[in-house]
Amino acid sequence: MKLSVRTAGLAAFAALLATACAPQTSTNSSSDEDEKTGTLRVWLFREVGNAPKEKVVDRVVADFEKTHQGAEVDVEYIPVDTRAQRVKAAFNDPGSAPDVMEYGNTDTAGYVRDGGLLDVTREFGDWREAKDTDPTAKQSVTVDGKLYGAPFYVGVRALYYRTDVFEELGLSVPRTMDELASTAREIRAARPELYGLVVGGAYTYGAMPFVWANGGELASGKGGSYASGIDSPQARKGIKAYTSLFGDDNCPAATCAGMGGNDTVSAFAAGKAGMAIGGDFSHTAVEAGKVKGKYAVVPLPGVKAGSIAPAFAGGNNIGVLKSTSHRTLAVQLMKRLASKKTQGELFDAMGFLPTFTDVRQQAARREPFVKPFVRTLSAGTEFVPASPAWAQIDSSLVLPTMFQEVISGKKDVTKASEDAAKKMNSAFGSAG
Amino acid sequence: MSSVNDRSAVKTPAAATAAAVTAPRPPNRTADARGGRTTRGAARGSGGWTPWLYLAPALLVLGGLLVYPIYQLGLISFFEYTQAQVSGGEPATFEGFGNYGRLFGDPQFWQVLLATVLFAAACVVSTLAVGCALAVLLTRVRAVPRLALMLAALGAWATPAVTGSTVWLFLFDPDFGPVNRMLGLGDHAWTYGRLSAFFLVLLEVVWCSFPFVMVTVYAGIRAVPGEVLEAAALDGASQWRIWRSVLAPMLRPILVVVTIQSVIWDFKVFTQIYVMTNGGGIAGQNLVLNVYAYQQAFASSQYGLGSAVGIVMLLILLAVTLVYLRLLRRQGEEL
Amino acid sequence: MNPLRALVRRPGRLAAEASALLIAVVVAFPLYWMVLSAFKPAGEIESSEARPWTPAPSLDSFRRVFGQQEFGRYFLNSLVVAGCVVIASGLIAFLAATAVTRFRFRLRTTLLLMFLIAQMVPVEALTIPLFFLMRDAGQLNTLGSLILPHIAFSLPFAIWMLRGFVKAVPQALEEAAYIDGASRARFLWQILFPLVLPGLVATSVFSFISAWNDFLFAKSFIISDTSQSTLPMALLVFYKPDDPDWGGVMAASTVMTIPVLVFFVLVQRRLVSGLGGAVKD
Repeated sequence: MKLSVRTAGLAAFAALLATACAPQTSTNSSSDEDEKTGTLRVWLFREVGNAPKEKVVDRVVADFEKTHQGAEVDVEYIPVDTRAQRVKAAFNDPGSAPDVMEYGNTDTAGYVRDGGLLDVTREFGDWREAKDTDPTAKQSVTVDGKLYGAPFYVGVRALYYRTDVFEELGLSVPRTMDELASTAREIRAARPELYGLVVGGAYTYGAMPFVWANGGELASGKGGSYASGIDSPQARKGIKAYTSLFGDDNCPAATCAGMGGNDTVSAFAAGKAGMAIGGDFSHTAVEAGKVKGKYAVVPLPGVKAGSIAPAFAGGNNIGVLKSTSHRTLAVQLMKRLASKKTQGELFDAMGFLPTFTDVRQQAARREPFVKPFVRTLSAGTEFVPASPAWAQIDSSLVLPTMFQEVISGKKDVTKASEDAAKKMNSAFGSAG
Repeated sequence: MSSVNDRSAVKTPAAATAAAVTAPRPPNRTADARGGRTTRGAARGSGGWTPWLYLAPALLVLGGLLVYPIYQLGLISFFEYTQAQVSGGEPATFEGFGNYGRLFGDPQFWQVLLATVLFAAACVVSTLAVGCALAVLLTRVRAVPRLALMLAALGAWATPAVTGSTVWLFLFDPDFGPVNRMLGLGDHAWTYGRLSAFFLVLLEVVWCSFPFVMVTVYAGIRAVPGEVLEAAALDGASQWRIWRSVLAPMLRPILVVVTIQSVIWDFKVFTQIYVMTNGGGIAGQNLVLNVYAYQQAFASSQYGLGSAVGIVMLLILLAVTLVYLRLLRRQGEEL
Repeated sequence: MNPLRALVRRPGRLAAEASALLIAVVVAFPLYWMVLSAFKPAGEIESSEARPWTPAPSLDSFRRVFGQQEFGRYFLNSLVVAGCVVIASGLIAFLAATAVTRFRFRLRTTLLLMFLIAQMVPVEALTIPLFFLMRDAGQLNTLGSLILPHIAFSLPFAIWMLRGFVKAVPQALEEAAYIDGASRARFLWQILFPLVLPGLVATSVFSFISAWNDFLFAKSFIISDTSQSTLPMALLVFYKPDDPDWGGVMAASTVMTIPVLVFFVLVQRRLVSGLGGAVKD
């Protein structure tokens, strides 16, 4: 009975592995302490021109320290590109972790599952200012009905177009998605050195409005169990609409299939495109380019005339870490940092769009360029599924792969979306 | 050939044995190499505890900082181990070969594996060819061009990989790059076709890794006695012949190291592919194993799966290295 | 040098030198483009014309790099890390290379293989175990957490490289030293070490560059104390997912590359000519 002996051996080996030498883990249970004095550590993202942000934050901190005797705040600015490692490390070593931190809103669900963020549902509910928070922004801090932070700012995309080119060709601003496509082709036909509407095969957040406008969804579901909706007939219609923009009559597949969002904005800024889908955060880059003074922005049109295609609501949140030993203080500091006053000041300093609807309206009055973005936001935005599986779907490039498969003719819309849905569902399944 | 001639009067210790080891092999030396572990003379004896004493610091550092983590890696590959487990949110559960099953069950994995092997092989061969050719060239020129080439190469070597990749992408950009303009290629998109994208990345990889080969091999050639080369040149041997039958055999120990290192590095290429093909190319056509592992596992903190990929890579590289070393040993070269 | 022969060879050498210079230009071109992009004013980097010069060079990108909080501190930290790694791994590797080349003992081949295996694992995979190791050793957030893993990662390579150089020192020299009554330690440090030094320099270029350019460990182990951060972190600031600042990236990379070139110029005489004239016998 050689076989059984070996099986038994293997089983014993497995048992040994499972019990005696499980890999290391840390204990990141929530802290029971709630000290009212001491140092609070804060992590904020370091922007390229960080000084104005620091100025605003310094004022908030000085104010906070004045009203909370014995509390000290130590703010550290971390490069956006290192955030993943830094935050993971902070979860693994509570000794190094901050009390309060800024994080990208697509990371919420993942951080919650990793056991890193503190549930602040009660405090958020008691917060007077919170009632003016834009619902999509609120959705971006919500996982399974609980809130894990306060929205800090939002980023949203709209349609940039060349006023000089439109004037020269006698074009009017497109009011529907179909018009968008036909206008793009007209530009390309009249000015072959330009892309009509510059699009990117790897530009997920530029493509999704087409899916959403056609009634499609990334995924549907609640309570942690999601199912992909990318292969629904509506979603396929949107995928088709977006991918049909790739071609020699608008944006040649050979150059455009590989582009990401940033590439399309650069092309527009360099004067190589008649239109582009760019964010409020792209404004500086476009201003620095060749097209300064020769462009305008409108909300991306929807399917019906006069409607606005739902945009992806990106942005950042401020959260409190579970391991904090200054729970009350940390939550108060979070509110201060995400308050209406701070957000208004940060808009003036950095151009970050506020998450409070009223503050945003005021901002639009001060700075007309944000108007189309504010209108896009008020028309209703969409968000990624609040599932930890999103991180996996995003990093394994499920959606860009799908778009590129269609664009390069490797698969048709039906097959590509089917395969993408399969991959998404398996991610949702394993992340549970 | 002044550069060689200038110092041919000075006999270097390195040169002396380089010659002794290879070209005219003393008979006892050959026997020793074949015989493997026989001891010879007091100096090259077992030395009792002395070698272990010399090795102690290295073993301490490597044991603690490499062997132990690799052991942990093997362990992790048998578990469901994500960030939630690492930070203690959920218990780690034993999965046996579950991670390996998932990996081998993914048809994309096999495709990526094949692409990785071919791409790494192309990179290794090109890097070695360019590096060795330029090392020989360096011995034939005077100080100024030599220094110019050395400095340029060192600059390429020293450039951070992310920056190097970005710059190369700029240079070959269909819209903004100077290369297409110079070659008159219009708006040919280098990253669209699978092969042309791999070729572009290969150029960058060779650019940043040939300097290591060039500098090392050049240092090796300088240790070869001038008379040997001189004699060969007088016999009317071509450059290729001199390299093939004089230099290459003498430099074999260095070439072995350089080859093995190149295999290891090029098999693990990451930044270049990630940056230049925007995370693996159109619809993932340019994925290599390390980028695949990053996207499928590490970026979303699935360390169990990622470790399994790591172990698989380790085993493949180990197999390649062992086969290579065995081939060398068959040719009479010892480790 | 025979003048006649030099004359005969001249066309060949001229061709060789011309091609060497040409290749140097080609190899340096991407570097030139990097420096050029660093000097281009904002918005020009990705303009539709790819000009190999810039009409209005600007120091703005460099100002953004040097204007960063604690930039000097990062620079110093990087120097400390790279310096410690170069010296420590050099010395340790020298001893180990001597052991595996000048002695024969059981497990020798196995050890050599182990040194290779260590480099075959993707580093990304090792950061988690290393993280726990550093945490338990209380090294997180210190430069030690960067120095130690880098020593470990550059050792295997350094040992393999140095092996060839140690091997090349003639057996006769060692025997002669012992006959003259030298002790093992004296032979090791006063005879062998100076002879192997050029090889050490060659390997140190490698360990210097890999420690100097490292992002991963700095990202993973320096968590809460930015004063312990290194230069690549100052480069990463410019990589914003939506709006990368290419001018800043290029300027920071230029600033990072210069010290390596300086280091190389300092050691290159040893590297290139050192092998040529160490000892006359």
